[in-house]
Amino acid sequence: MSVENVLFWVFALGIVSSAFLVILARNPVHSAMALVGAFFFLAAEYVLLWAHTIAVLQVLVYAGAIMVLFLFVIMLLSLTDADLQPGQVTLARVVGGASAAGLCLVMVETLSKTKGAGQVIAGEQTQVFGTLAEMGRVIYTQYLFPFEAVSLLLLVAIVGAVVVAKARI
Amino acid sequence: MNIPSLTFLDFQPVLPALLLAVGGIVLLLTEVFQSAATINRAYQSMVALAFSAVAGAVAAATTLEPAREVFLGFGVSDPFSGAVTVLVCVGLGLSVLVSAGFLRHRNAERGEFYALLLFAGAGMSLLAMSNEFITLFINLEVMSVSTYALSAWLRRGTRPSEAGFKYFILGAFSAAILVYGASLLYGATGTTKLSELAGLLPAAVASNPGLTYLGAGLVAVGLAFKVAAVPFHMWTPDVYEGAPTPVSALMSAGVKATAFASLVRVFLPFAQDLGPNHAQLMTYAFAALALLTMVVGNLMALPQRNVKRMLAYSSVAHAGYLLLGVAALFARPTGGEGPLAVTPLLAGAEGAARQQTLQAILFYLLAYTVTSLGSFGALAALERREDEPRGTAWDLEKFAGLSQRKPGWALAMAAMMLSLGGIPPTVGFMGKLFIFRAAVDAGLVWLAVAGVLASAAGVYYYLRVVVYMYMRPSQDGVTVPERQWTTELALVLSTAAVVLLGVAPGTLSAWLGKASVLFSQ
Repeated sequence: MSVENVLFWVFALGIVSSAFLVILARNPVHSAMALVGAFFFLAAEYVLLWAHTIAVLQVLVYAGAIMVLFLFVIMLLSLTDADLQPGQVTLARVVGGASAAGLCLVMVETLSKTKGAGQVIAGEQTQVFGTLAEMGRVIYTQYLFPFEAVSLLLLVAIVGAVVVAKARI
Repeated sequence: MNIPSLTFLDFQPVLPALLLAVGGIVLLLTEVFQSAATINRAYQSMVALAFSAVAGAVAAATTLEPAREVFLGFGVSDPFSGAVTVLVCVGLGLSVLVSAGFLRHRNAERGEFYALLLFAGAGMSLLAMSNEFITLFINLEVMSVSTYALSAWLRRGTRPSEAGFKYFILGAFSAAILVYGASLLYGATGTTKLSELAGLLPAAVASNPGLTYLGAGLVAVGLAFKVAAVPFHMWTPDVYEGAPTPVSALMSAGVKATAFASLVRVFLPFAQDLGPNHAQLMTYAFAALALLTMVVGNLMALPQRNVKRMLAYSSVAHAGYLLLGVAALFARPTGGEGPLAVTPLLAGAEGAARQQTLQAILFYLLAYTVTSLGSFGALAALERREDEPRGTAWDLEKFAGLSQRKPGWALAMAAMMLSLGGIPPTVGFMGKLFIFRAAVDAGLVWLAVAGVLASAAGVYYYLRVVVYMYMRPSQDGVTVPERQWTTELALVLSTAAVVLLGVAPGTLSAWLGKASVLFSQ
């Protein structure tokens, strides 16, 4: 068993256990922090898959920016203890749970049928795939047109947000 | 690894969009030096106008060049994209002229408004060139995000925020549907480039029919939202009514034109490379969409007393006529054999017929652009801002007796209404003539008949405005807003275009015929 395989299992266990913590924790702030943990473990898995760029973005965007937003929302809601009691079994919850379980089943079925799914665990990719250098090369050459269009999109989004946020024009 | 090289030739076709973007940035930067108390910002509309005029001229030059791929196949530079950009620049220029007076009247003239208009134009120009799904999506968003912000520009009453919010939510939703469809197509074919997609489609349909059909269907739905085709038109009346009138004008002209351009660009390979069965299937699909859009758009416009809402529904109806042209385009049986035949798309007799159909679509788009800009411009000239929160600014009564109060405006509005209704000698008539002829030539006679009947119903509500202007007496105490030379210039220009192109469409139509060339492999 190579080092990569050992690390894979460590991080995988980390992901699953922190994901369980997210749904089992009573306090929403604890849930959010457990989610941050899950994101970090996931980022580590990406590193093992030689997807460095996605790993970095995972930490920067999800574990960083989006989770801060989550925490802000939780604080703004200022939940009381009464809000945090387990609710009744409603139709929506049953349907939601059932579809989640169904999706899980479909994923397991698909992955078990996919040829060689077990092999693609760690360190098996060509070792440049998804590194920052490789991504940069592709973005600035092959994908130059959409990449530059994104810069225009961001400019428009900033100007538009400022315009819409103005109280009165 | 070999690094693909990009040369100046790759960047040259982007020049019109680049000019528009630079114009927007210039406006943003100069706005910094204006204080809130600055009333006169007349230079801004002139800067925006100059940039759109230059960009339009540059784009017109690209229509004379042969079609080629740029940016490694992510974009194409072909006469068609050049013609669409020219059209966008015409729409932008007229919209800027109308905006200047409209915003000054409301003390809402700011550099950001024109900057967003120009950015939207840049997005439209790039969208017309996009030949790859990621690029297409990003450029669609550049265009859409600018228009979301522009439709919520004024804060008078609840309507503008309703318009902005509704447009944003539904627009984001439709963009998500489009991306989902594109990702399914990527799953089925393994490429996002439209030029490669064409060759891979037959194999994908054979091995993964569900994925391919669903993907194509979702992409079509996403684009149908943008062109406001029934049943994806629900947002149109509310958004057009709530948005500032010049912005509604640009939405009905530019956004619609470019969405149609990408509709044609994305779906022509489907009709062309999948064999006659699929071409027929797509013809029926788009014919059904066209029929529904023409009928519902016209019927919904009939009872409207609010002229702005009426124009919104009329814009839905016109999307129907254009879809009729698109269906006629797909009805052409495929000419070349084999998916990767290196024959020009528009070769041979079938190719000539296809080129003619594309020319009819382009002519109709141009006709609708000038007419729509003119009619919204006349509406903008007449609007009084005190009435806006109550929503009575656009009532039919406001047009009563306009021929006595403002004969010039009444004449312009009458020309626009005749053109929208498709009555000679206006450009709208010629546009309808070309597009119905293309449909009949393609064997869609029943659809052309339905289109003529639907537009006959449309004549009623267009002529009602004319009747109010010329045959009803003025209401007492109605004041007309002060004249703005920019708005009046826009009215003169669009009226001249509507009448002159209606009388003598030859030159323009010949040029558009040359520009009706799509890049293909």
